[in-house]
Amino acid sequence: MLHFFIRKIVQGILLLLITSAAAFFLLSSAGSDAFTSLRENPQVSAAAIEKLRASYGLDRPVIERYGSWLASAARADLGDSFYYQVPVAQLVLSRFWSTAILAFAAVGIACLIAVSLSFLNARFRSRTLSAFTDGIILVFASTPRIVISLFALAILVYGAITSVFWLSAISLSVPLVALLLAQFNQSLNDAMREDFVRTARAKGLSETAIILRHAFRAAINPALTLFGLSLGALLGGSVIVETVIGRPGIGSLTVIAVRNRDIPLLMGVMIIVSLAVWAGNTLAEVLQFVNDKRLKAQEGE
Amino acid sequence: MSDIGAKKRLSIAAKAGLFLLAGFVFIAIFADFLAPYDHTSQSRSLPNAPISAISFSDENGSFSLIPRVFEPKMTDALRQSYTHDPSRSAKVELFAKGYGYHLFGIIPLDRHLLGTDSDEIGLHLLGTDALGRDRLSRLLIAIRFSLIVCTIGAAFASLVGIALGLVGGYAGKIVDTVISGVADAVISLPSMIVILAARVAFPLELPPMTAALLLVGLFTFTGWAEMTRLTRGLVKRTRTLDYITAARISGVSSGRILVRHILPNIARPLLTQATLILPAFLLAEATLSFLGVGVQEPEPSLGNMLAAANDLTQLREHAFVLLSPAIVIALFVLAVRLTNTGLSSNEDREIT
Repeated sequence: MLHFFIRKIVQGILLLLITSAAAFFLLSSAGSDAFTSLRENPQVSAAAIEKLRASYGLDRPVIERYGSWLASAARADLGDSFYYQVPVAQLVLSRFWSTAILAFAAVGIACLIAVSLSFLNARFRSRTLSAFTDGIILVFASTPRIVISLFALAILVYGAITSVFWLSAISLSVPLVALLLAQFNQSLNDAMREDFVRTARAKGLSETAIILRHAFRAAINPALTLFGLSLGALLGGSVIVETVIGRPGIGSLTVIAVRNRDIPLLMGVMIIVSLAVWAGNTLAEVLQFVNDKRLKAQEGE
Repeated sequence: MSDIGAKKRLSIAAKAGLFLLAGFVFIAIFADFLAPYDHTSQSRSLPNAPISAISFSDENGSFSLIPRVFEPKMTDALRQSYTHDPSRSAKVELFAKGYGYHLFGIIPLDRHLLGTDSDEIGLHLLGTDALGRDRLSRLLIAIRFSLIVCTIGAAFASLVGIALGLVGGYAGKIVDTVISGVADAVISLPSMIVILAARVAFPLELPPMTAALLLVGLFTFTGWAEMTRLTRGLVKRTRTLDYITAARISGVSSGRILVRHILPNIARPLLTQATLILPAFLLAEATLSFLGVGVQEPEPSLGNMLAAANDLTQLREHAFVLLSPAIVIALFVLAVRLTNTGLSSNEDREIT
């Protein structure tokens, strides 16, 4: 277990270094920054712009700047946002929590639909229900978030549902519902054909008890992997959902940072997103570990 | 038994998907012919006009097979609401004369599928946008534009991804570790945020063609990794097979083994993956253009047309026409998915 955590921490640090370095050099090589648009303003002299740039340290070489950025990042100081004029770390964290709660609700919605439909499929094995599940998977997988969030906006406009939070959560959850449902339904179906299910039946357990106590446990691991992987997709999806519906969060913050060429803010976004993705994957692996005794046995060997 | 039913259903799904895709390709090829009007020509007197009122009756009110369109009349300039004038109408014509264009880029033509016999009264099947441009024409051109950009992007991303996957999977050791490490990092990060961050490295306002090229570059930048992971796994599985060992012993060069012996055997799953990249790129293009950092006016794209739907007062008045690009996007994604599930289930049948 200790070995696992050390490996994960090294992976996390490497991921942070790669993304921060790639983002920093790409954004610095751009040849344009928050002051570029000032150059078109005839009332601002070139010397004044240079002075401004120097005050933010933009006149130093890239490697030096990355070094000092890294040094202060290690102390959780990500500098100040050009656009908001507040510390990046603070801003990014507060917006991240807002999106994290949204993503949590989206995962909850997706799990609720996936688990209950898969349970009904395993319990009743009805062909109609199975076709219905296939239909749901197809429709949910092919409705893009940009489409669903615009429709959510239309619903908001017409006032049918007025909760911005739940509409955003539903919009965010849509493709995830299809992914989780397809995966969980399939693995539950496979689990129902295993020997231990036959043994449980022979013991005289009711079908519901078999599914809930035995098959679920076997089916849950692939779904957990998917959950870890989909965290990044949820953060990416928040870009469009939050911008369309107009809810502050990490996605809408990214768009504002891009429109205003706020490079420190973008660096902050990249860092928190990498951290979140890493944490999500680690959490999923830990949960799998807790759930599956075979993995524990492997570790013991 | 239910499996047979499932397969039959899926093959119908594949047919439906292919039919839809064929429709998209048809639109992409004949966009200019299908579009009634020039997508750039504005009519400032008719902003946000509704869908043209059509009636199947002639001037005397008796039934006629040739439909007529009525001229929209603005009743409130502030709210941009319209009624139509029953006295002023024009006949709808097939193969009407309109703006000149080049079919397939070479054949000069000026005929369009639909039009009217009058220059003043237009046929606007999806109404007009805020600058009075025919929305249907813009939508058709946007479909063509988005499809071309996304197909080129998917092709580039697939090529780069396959090449890196082949090299990594076959070379092994340090090359493989580096390639698969970077690929895993790229896959785990949300591609939309990465694309947006990379977008800042370039000027925000770009002419449409430069923007399209940039989009292809950005799609390749994030899209290669998934392909590399797949290719690498397949190569690793294939390279230990006997016929590869035989080829190596008989002195065939590594490059030739990769291209002639391994690639053809793993082509099918790679093709499936490549088709799945297509809708992802269409969505990325739509998202970027929607946010105003992709393809910009006057060139229509599905994304920048959708941006008009982000206006609450407009959305309340004209929800359907404003969301029509969204419906097109959903249909395209659906078409690719239907085809894909249908075809991959056929593959399973061949194996069993």
